[in-house]
Amino acid sequence: MAAVAPVRRPKRRSIPVGRILLLGFFLVFVLWPLYWMFNTSIKPSDDYLTVPPVWFPTAPTLVHYEAALFAYRGLDGLINSLIISLSATVLSALFGTLMAYSLARYNTGGQHLSFWVLSQRFLPPIGIVLPVFLIYRGVGLYDTHIGLIVAYTVFTLPVSVWMMFAYFRGMPKSMEEAALVDGCTRWEAFWRVAVPLAAPGIVAAAVFAFIACWTEFFFALILTSRTAFTLPTVFRAFIGFQGAQYGEAAALAIVSLVPSIALGVLAQRHLVRGLTLGAVRG
Amino acid sequence: MQHTATISRLKATGAPPRLSGFAQWADRHFKWLLVAPAVLLILALSVYPLLFSLVVSFINYDFQVPGHAFVGLKNFERVVFDPVARWSLLLTAWLSGISVAIEFVLGLLVALTMVRSFPGRGVIMSILIVPLFISPVIVGQAWTLLLQRPFGPTNYILTQLLGQEVTIGWMTESPWLYVSLIIADVWQWTPFMFVILLAGLTAIPPNLYEAAELDGVNAWQAFWAITLPHLAPMMLLALTFRLLDAIRMFDTIFIMTGGGPGTRTYTASYYLYTVGFTQFHLSQATAGSWLFLIFTALVVMLLVRRLLKTEPV
Repeated sequence: MAAVAPVRRPKRRSIPVGRILLLGFFLVFVLWPLYWMFNTSIKPSDDYLTVPPVWFPTAPTLVHYEAALFAYRGLDGLINSLIISLSATVLSALFGTLMAYSLARYNTGGQHLSFWVLSQRFLPPIGIVLPVFLIYRGVGLYDTHIGLIVAYTVFTLPVSVWMMFAYFRGMPKSMEEAALVDGCTRWEAFWRVAVPLAAPGIVAAAVFAFIACWTEFFFALILTSRTAFTLPTVFRAFIGFQGAQYGEAAALAIVSLVPSIALGVLAQRHLVRGLTLGAVRG
Repeated sequence: MQHTATISRLKATGAPPRLSGFAQWADRHFKWLLVAPAVLLILALSVYPLLFSLVVSFINYDFQVPGHAFVGLKNFERVVFDPVARWSLLLTAWLSGISVAIEFVLGLLVALTMVRSFPGRGVIMSILIVPLFISPVIVGQAWTLLLQRPFGPTNYILTQLLGQEVTIGWMTESPWLYVSLIIADVWQWTPFMFVILLAGLTAIPPNLYEAAELDGVNAWQAFWAITLPHLAPMMLLALTFRLLDAIRMFDTIFIMTGGGPGTRTYTASYYLYTVGFTQFHLSQATAGSWLFLIFTALVVMLLVRRLLKTEPV
């Protein structure tokens, strides 16, 4: 044993150059597009096409933010996104928790039901959204807030159900069993005992459902138009850059990414469970 | 509230709790009542639309041709014999395959650098996961700002680094437009691989490495003998999840290239979108999306079923 120690020590103290370079390169790769977007959003339009490019704007301006929010209706998109994402998040977390509890404690429907819900997560959206578009046009839900809320609730349900399914399975049953022995109904054992204990898991599931709705583009592109359009669909206005709308596009992007990044970083403890639908414990 | 009051009153007298008829019924069917809202929603907005689209794919449902006559397999034929459809499926496979492979290798390398704790690890971790919380539309927008000529600074930076004039049309010239799309995808989803693989790496018991070190095993051998076999289930999970998302690629293409030039960057989703929503051949699009669905379902059956069985609970 004693002979091993001197061999190990220098190895620990040596500076891992390769690792630092790799990590440094990757950090720059992640941060560079974000920085350039921020830089573009506060740069005066005259600085767009200079050679060399303007790396640090000397006269920062907020005109692009104003234009993006008002002239391009970014604010309307922001409000719609908030209404739709929050409503769908609440519904998804509620229904997801109900179903997950039943699956975890009563093994409802065996493996088939849980696998069926999971398989919804992997359906290509194009297969769903075409007929939903036709149905929505028929029943008057096209381009309505309610239509998109219902669509987003269903689209986030598999994640909510599976995250909560894993959470309930990881929770001891003893408290609920004690409540049932004491004469509580099954509903009371669930609502008064299990749900308060599972609150952190429910919050985490809700955060990931919210981020999924907030960043969703495909459903919103097809199911909404002039009324219920969400923030990501506003970016259609900047495709092709007919004018010089770089600043407006960048400003709107900054406005849109701040809430989801803030929530995501706050909930990062649960990130692994969120990404793997509870299959892996973080 | 009322029930608890009743219960405690009855418990005091030693009698079993008596509930109203509805409450008794609800208690008996409790487990089915709990799954009902979610199941009904999925039935209404996923299963019913899928069945409806199956009907649509066998009839004429075209905003340019009146009537809804039964046309048999004609819609499927149109897709199968459309060279653009085949091209888009091939491109989907190539783009998702290459992107996921790069994300996997890069994610694993970065995860390996982050296993041991060091000062600043928490902050770096928070920065590295940021791309996961950004809309793909914005990711496409950000890379457009960086790459598009003449505004983007990328060509200028490359010119300075290489010492010769670089004028690449990142959004218009083949093969650079594919490179651009892959870079945007790699930027957004490498953190996904990184986070899952890091969770797998930190779960490997450190005493295995200590034992290996005592046996005089070098780092490379330890990686092959310890890390790889322990990490394999997690690798399979990360690759499966990522691949099933990558084959849907749509948002970044919509923003960055618009499928162009011509149909050069049509993925399966983008092709079906244009058939349905810019050409309004809705029945042809639903037929195509059913074919794509069956294709995806086969992949899901093969990969996800296996994962569920080996899943570490």
